Amino acid sequence: MKLTVSYPPHIRDGTTIETVTWNKIVMVAIVALISIYVFGLPALALIVVSVLFAALTELCIQKLANQELTLKDGDAILIGLLIALLLPPTAPVWAPALGAVFAVGLVKHAFGGLGTTMFNPAITAWVFMNISWERLTASGSVPYIGEYSDLLLELGAGRLAEVSPIIFIIGGLYLVYKKYIDWRIPFSYLIVAIALALLLGEEMSYVVTGMLFLGAFIFANDTATSPITKRGRLVYGALCGVLTVVYGYFTYNYVVAVLYTIFFLNAVSAFIEKHTVPKPVDEVVA
Amino acid sequence: MSNSAKNTMTDEEKNTAAPKETEEHRKQVVIPLLQHRGAACEPLVEVGDTVLRGQKIGEEDEYGLAVSIHSSVSGRVIAIEERLHPHCSKQPSIIIESDGASESIKFKTNKNPSKAQILDSLEDAGIIELNGYPVYNTLLTEKTIDTVILNLTNPGDVSSNCTGENISKIISGVKLLMTASGASQAAIVANKNNKQIASSIQSRLGASTKLVTVKRNYMPSMSNLLAYDMTGIRISNTGTPADAGVIVSSAHSALAVSRAVLEGIPLIDVNLTVSGVVSELCVKTVAIGTSFQDVVQSCGGYVGEPGKIIMNGVLSGTAQVTDEVPVIKTVTEITVQPPHEVLREKTGSCVHCARCVDVCPVNILPGRIAAFADVGKYDECEKLHVQSCVECGMCSYVCPSGRYNLQLIRFAKTALLQGFKIPEEKQYPIIKLGCQSCNHPCHMWAPLDGIPLKGSDKE
Repeated sequence: MKLTVSYPPHIRDGTTIETVTWNKIVMVAIVALISIYVFGLPALALIVVSVLFAALTELCIQKLANQELTLKDGDAILIGLLIALLLPPTAPVWAPALGAVFAVGLVKHAFGGLGTTMFNPAITAWVFMNISWERLTASGSVPYIGEYSDLLLELGAGRLAEVSPIIFIIGGLYLVYKKYIDWRIPFSYLIVAIALALLLGEEMSYVVTGMLFLGAFIFANDTATSPITKRGRLVYGALCGVLTVVYGYFTYNYVVAVLYTIFFLNAVSAFIEKHTVPKPVDEVVA
Repeated sequence: MSNSAKNTMTDEEKNTAAPKETEEHRKQVVIPLLQHRGAACEPLVEVGDTVLRGQKIGEEDEYGLAVSIHSSVSGRVIAIEERLHPHCSKQPSIIIESDGASESIKFKTNKNPSKAQILDSLEDAGIIELNGYPVYNTLLTEKTIDTVILNLTNPGDVSSNCTGENISKIISGVKLLMTASGASQAAIVANKNNKQIASSIQSRLGASTKLVTVKRNYMPSMSNLLAYDMTGIRISNTGTPADAGVIVSSAHSALAVSRAVLEGIPLIDVNLTVSGVVSELCVKTVAIGTSFQDVVQSCGGYVGEPGKIIMNGVLSGTAQVTDEVPVIKTVTEITVQPPHEVLREKTGSCVHCARCVDVCPVNILPGRIAAFADVGKYDECEKLHVQSCVECGMCSYVCPSGRYNLQLIRFAKTALLQGFKIPEEKQYPIIKLGCQSCNHPCHMWAPLDGIPLKGSDKE
């Protein structure tokens, strides 16, 4: 009789990194398909080039460094998809290619790969592209959710990600329901952002864009770059909401506000985490 | 886990109390001299002696660290030697060959015992709480006890012991514990999802007993947390529930107390649930010292080749090296996994998803502690309150990367304990660590310098 001896636990609940990431990819890919429907071939070219270069970069780095190939966990593919979605359809195809190499090579793998990134790779790549070639990567139009049907299909979208906010809402809630992502960051982000915008008398049509929901459910909730403590996640989400509205209030651009806010808060996430470490239940107060 | 427990609750309820069922297949029992946290006991018998069922064969020492053990069969002592122990070590054990007659010593019954009589009969009954601490020593506390808590949320314990007529015995055991400790009330804690047990307890409640339903399962190692949740009094991790004026008991020990005091029978049989790939899911009464193999055989044997045999639950239980290990006093559950269910996935890197933080019952950061333990930074682990961990195993269960958080946390705890224990060793850190695969750090069980293990000098 051959018996296996191992450490507990002897069963697991079945959720793996792959399940979580591929569920996110499905959600983002649906939006990508709708953007191809809206913008046509330029969008398709951006998405294909971006995903291809992200995957190739990861493959090359892991081959060269003699590491185990982790393409099947989907992280590089998700990064590639997200980089394409952050661009306007008018962007040249070499932009996402360079962005993907930058994101996967420098932001992800130079810092240790999956789970150890300091900044969200896709957002950092967007910041890199936006600073380097601002004219080419700026969007031609600003999304305006004037009617409820715009939540389903927003034809005035400037960037690929803004074409269908409802997909991110439904998909995000599904991910929260399945416990693939935590509820604290997206909920506190959305509640604070919308409440503050209402308080300042902002026009909701400009605030509630696809980018806000993508930011709340995917970017802000990126596990490696957000705090792990429960209170820390609530604070982080609330700060995201505040900064987004502050940036949007003064620049009238809530899309860019989301991206720069999350980029900035990635930098202070460790600080938030350090100051919100919970007290264990057995700590006796003298 | 709870599903299989539910299945087993329904059948085999009748013969749980009758030891005759298990007689024909047991020929030899191996009774380890150390079955609890503390020191091993001194054997009272020699090779060749004949013993009766219930006869004391190992005695507590003068320090009160050891707990007496009793023969679970009648027969002849054929050896006293080191044998495999279910906590993954070898321990000196008394091996008794059964004569099949099952002749018992005369058990002293006492229908209406006083406090002194209860303590008297518990002193020698060798009853151990499921977390390894002797019940008698718990009762000797100098602190004022006002509540006895009966923990009916441990799935293995409940499915094994809360069957049929045992429930009324458990209630009377709780009442005896109340008398012995001077407590004025008792709380019976059951899981919300286990409606069956709550309803069967409800009908038997007395005036001073109360049923409390909770959402969480409290494992034996979580008695401090249970006491805190019930009373709201914080207990330090070096303290005991007695600090909050509480005694935490399980169905297993309440049943044993009732049998020892009222019927005079020491702890020689335990109730077990056998689940997994066995031909028949069953609840059995098993004599202590019976091998796991014999227990499984009495439940109809394995179906196919077993892949893993787990003692005391799949979340934090111990995988066994062989099925020849004996049943000891703290076993409540044996799970047999088929080879295809055995976890073989690779451990990935931590993505800081904080699922472990969300499930942790004691508000610590298990993933972070495990990461520090992995690189040997035990002082950092201590700053993050590694000592508060109650080892429920949930952080490893939910980890999407398949990381062994529980093992790493135990690793850090053992390292800290041993690092602080040997201050004269200059070359820090000279730390010998166990394999961590069992419930208890080995320094509790295996002979260390400093803890005398009397059985070992017979080699």
